[in-house]
Amino acid sequence: MNPRGAGREPLITFEHVGYEFDQGRIVALKDVSFTIGAGKSVAIVGASGSGKTTLILLMCGIRMPTSGVVRWKGEAVPSTAAWTDLRRSEIGIVFQDFNLFPTLTARENIEVAMFGRGLSARERGKRADAALEAVGLGTRARHLPQEMSGGERQRVAIARSIINDPALIVADEPTGNLDSVNAVAILDLLFELQESRGVTLVMVTHEPSYAARCERQLRIKDGAVFDQQPAVVREVAS
Amino acid sequence: MNHFQLAFRNLRRRPMRSLLTMMGVALAVGSFITLYGLSDSVHQNVQQSFDEQGADLTARRSGVAEPFGGTINQNLMPKVAAVPGVAAVSGQLITFAATDNNDTVLAAGWAPDSFYWQHVPLIEGRLPELGDAKEAVVGNEIAKTLGKKVGDDIALLGEKFRIVGISNYTSIINRNRVIVNLAPLQEITFRKGAITFLSMELEKPNDEGEVNRVIETIEAMGGLAVTKSEGMMKNDSMIGLLSAVSSSMAWVALLMGVLMVLNTLLMAVLERMREIGILSALGWSKQRIMGALVIEGFLLSAVGSAMGILIGVLGSMALSAAPAIGRYVAVSPTLGLIAVTAVAAIVLGILGSFYPAWVATRASPAAALERA
Repeated sequence: MNPRGAGREPLITFEHVGYEFDQGRIVALKDVSFTIGAGKSVAIVGASGSGKTTLILLMCGIRMPTSGVVRWKGEAVPSTAAWTDLRRSEIGIVFQDFNLFPTLTARENIEVAMFGRGLSARERGKRADAALEAVGLGTRARHLPQEMSGGERQRVAIARSIINDPALIVADEPTGNLDSVNAVAILDLLFELQESRGVTLVMVTHEPSYAARCERQLRIKDGAVFDQQPAVVREVAS
Repeated sequence: MNHFQLAFRNLRRRPMRSLLTMMGVALAVGSFITLYGLSDSVHQNVQQSFDEQGADLTARRSGVAEPFGGTINQNLMPKVAAVPGVAAVSGQLITFAATDNNDTVLAAGWAPDSFYWQHVPLIEGRLPELGDAKEAVVGNEIAKTLGKKVGDDIALLGEKFRIVGISNYTSIINRNRVIVNLAPLQEITFRKGAITFLSMELEKPNDEGEVNRVIETIEAMGGLAVTKSEGMMKNDSMIGLLSAVSSSMAWVALLMGVLMVLNTLLMAVLERMREIGILSALGWSKQRIMGALVIEGFLLSAVGSAMGILIGVLGSMALSAAPAIGRYVAVSPTLGLIAVTAVAAIVLGILGSFYPAWVATRASPAAALERA
C-alpha cells in the first residue's frame, strides 16, 4: 500500500550536480544526475570517503551544489532558508550518532523538531507521544537518552524524523552504531514506516544486505553516481 | 515543552556556571541599587534637613564646591535683613566636630536671633540660653548612640557643652546633629564672625517675582549665591560629584554583569555548536536559534536581577547600619530605582546575548552529520 500514491512524481532531482571542496582542489561529486520518485526506497552505497554524506547533505539542502541544481518536486529550491523550511516540514533526518539532546527526555527530543510549526506545547506533546507509540517506545517518553539502549535511542530519532509527516526520510547509516539484532529491528521499522506512510526513504549504508532491501541503489565511486538495481531485484526481473 | 523550558534545561546542564553568572548579575544589580540609592539618599537627606528648618531662601559663599567649606561674614546678616521683602534672617555655622570616644558629630551653631530656634522640635529639656552659653541641644539619634541625656556633657573639639535638650527632627541628619550657640562654635573652630549659611524667611514666599527680586538684590551685594531652600542641593557640586562617582561605579558594575552573561553564553554556544547544528538540520531557522539563545540570556539576567534586588536592599540596609554613613544618610532605594535597575539589567543581559546568539547561527547543520 502506498498512501501518497508515490513513485509517479519526482521528489528529488539532481541535474548535473557537482560539489567541490577547498577551492576546487577536492572534487567530491561531479556531474551527478538522477531522480528519486516519491515513495521509493533508495540505498546510497560506496566506500568510505566516496561522497555518500556529501550527497545526502546536498539532498537535504545542508550543502549547496557548486554546480548544477537540486530540485524538490521539480522546482529549484531558491535559498538555504527555503531548504531550512523544507527540513522543518518535508524532510526527516536520521543520524548514525542518533544526535539526541542529552538533557531532554525522549518526548522532548521529538518536540524540538516541531518548534516553528505553529503548534501549541500541548499539541506537540500529544504528537510526540503518538510518534513514540508508533516506534514502540510509548512507555519511555520521560526517559533521558542516557537511560536508553542504542536501539531505543535510534527509535526516538526515527520518531523525531517522522513527526512532521515528511515526504522524505534521509537516514545516514542508521544502523552504524547498533548490534546486528537492533540493526535489523531498526531497518524493519524504517521500511515499515516507509511502506505505511508512503515516505521516500534514502538510506546510506555500508552493508550490502541492508542496501538490498531498497528498491534502488545509488553507488558512488570517484565522485560519480552509478544507478543500479539491487541484486535481488535483478534476479527477480530476470 | 516550550522555549523557556528548553532554555532552562540548557542552563541547568552547567549549573555551577549558570549560578555563578546569575550571582555576577546579582552583584552588579545589587551594587547598582546600593550605589545609586546612596547618592539619591544623600541628596534627599541633605535637602530634607534644610526643608524642616523652615527657611525660604538660603545664601552661601559663591564659588565654593564643598557644602560646608565656604564661610560668609556674619556682618552681612543685618544688611540682608534690611533687604525689602526679607522677613527674618538666620545665620548658622556648620562643622564636623570630634566628640567623645573618638567619634565625630555634625555641629551647628546658631545666632541668638535666629528664627531656627523657633522650630526646634524638643522632646526633652529646653533650648540653650542664647548668647555665649556652652549649652547644647542634641538630636535623639546621636544622644542614643553616644548614650547621652539631658544634664550630661558632650565634647565638641575638646570643649565641653552641657546638654540641655533633646530634639526629635524628621531627617536623619538633623536627628544626629548637635545644636549650640553660634559664638562658642565660632570660637572653638577659629572662625570668629563667620557663618556657613545665611537663611531667610520672606514676607511673600509664594510671590515668584518678589522672590527673584530678593535673590537678585542679595547676590548683587557680592560673594553670595542664593537659592530657594527647597532646591538647595539641586546644583550642589559635591552632591553632584558623589552622584557622578556612584553612578559611574554602578554602571561599571552593571556592564560587568552583562559581560558575564555574554561570556557564559558564548562558552555555552561554542560547546554546543554541534547541537545547534542539529537544530538547524531539524529545520530551526537562524532567527529561532538566535531567539533560543536570547531566552537563555533573558533567564540568566532575570533571575540574576531578582537576586540582585535582594542584595541591593540588604546592602542598603547594611550601609544605613554603618555609623559612618547611617548617621547622615538613610540609604533607601526607591521602588522606581529598583524597577529601572532590574529592567536595565534584563535588557542589557538580552543585548549581551545577541553576539553569542549570532555566533550560534553560524553553526553548520553539516556538523550534525559528520562523525563525532
